[in-house]
Amino acid sequence: MHVSIRCFATLSRFTPAEAEAFPVAQGETVAALVKRLGVPPDDLKLVFVNGGHVGLDASLADGDRVGLFPAVGGG
Amino acid sequence: MPAHAMLDERILALAEQRSLPDGRTLAVLPFFSVLDLARGLPHMSGERPAARVERAALTLGVCPERYLRNIETYSLDEQLRLLGARAAMLGLGGLGGHVLELLARAGVGHIRAADGDEFEPANLNRQLLATRHSLLGYKAAAAAARMRQVNRGVDFEPVAAHLDEAGMARLLEGADVCLDALGGLADRAALARRASAAGIPLVTAAVAGQTGLVATVLPGGKSPAELFGQGGAAEDRLGTPAPGVATAAALMAAEALNILCGRAPALAGKMLVFDLSRMSFETVTL
Repeated sequence: MHVSIRCFATLSRFTPAEAEAFPVAQGETVAALVKRLGVPPDDLKLVFVNGGHVGLDASLADGDRVGLFPAVGGG
Repeated sequence: MPAHAMLDERILALAEQRSLPDGRTLAVLPFFSVLDLARGLPHMSGERPAARVERAALTLGVCPERYLRNIETYSLDEQLRLLGARAAMLGLGGLGGHVLELLARAGVGHIRAADGDEFEPANLNRQLLATRHSLLGYKAAAAAARMRQVNRGVDFEPVAAHLDEAGMARLLEGADVCLDALGGLADRAALARRASAAGIPLVTAAVAGQTGLVATVLPGGKSPAELFGQGGAAEDRLGTPAPGVATAAALMAAEALNILCGRAPALAGKMLVFDLSRMSFETVTL
């Protein structure tokens, strides 16, 4: 199965080449996915799946849209 | 004849029927008539004379000319509400300068805004109020000067100080909405706590590079800042170029105006995320 991945701001450098259809294992968690992408755990502050805020233990399903967000505070 | 009845009579005498681009006609009080009528009014604390004239006109169904192009998007009744509305904002830098400009032009009657900083050259890339003339001066002073230029009907209360949490609580007294136009994460969670304690919605935004977010936090709700914590943030590396800052500020102002004219906030419990490098906008639930 596949998910799409959007990495925002400083995390954009971890965007994989196949971001629109990134292969994930059945039942793979967000934590396992971000580890594979190489995103430093301290830099990841918010994860969205299909437009909703989820925890790192959330399991992924085929077709999920994953958004990864660092801390953003500029003005 | 009581003073307010005399003012009403003069407004109706000076109002003009104007044809709008779509063929409708509307009674309009010309801009300079507002100024003339305001000049004859006694000064009262808490409301600018021009705003008194404009509120009287709107109550009579007459649109002050300066708000003519707000028409339909903000009805005459909503414009009247805006003139009586109270906004409190923290930060008069990148976000704050643009937000203040938009709220003042929209006709928000009372704005209290605090910033203890002075302008420095690195503000010039994005901050509306930063010019070679305002450099090294207080941001709050530049904001007050700008308000006199843009809309004298706004009762603007500048505060040139860094506020602690007690100061934030005082800033929010009597306000209908709180705008978090701060830079950096250090004070944002405290402001969200004070807005929640005051029982008013908080409209917040933050930017790093081409990425930005805007959210509305209702009392007791979750704010983005509390999810981000207190450490460094993406703007330390990516900076804060003008397009992202101005985009976030415009979205903040639009949402604050929704709230101040009595509509449901569109982003309550949500966060709008944009990325101008991809021109993508999406709304997620917090």
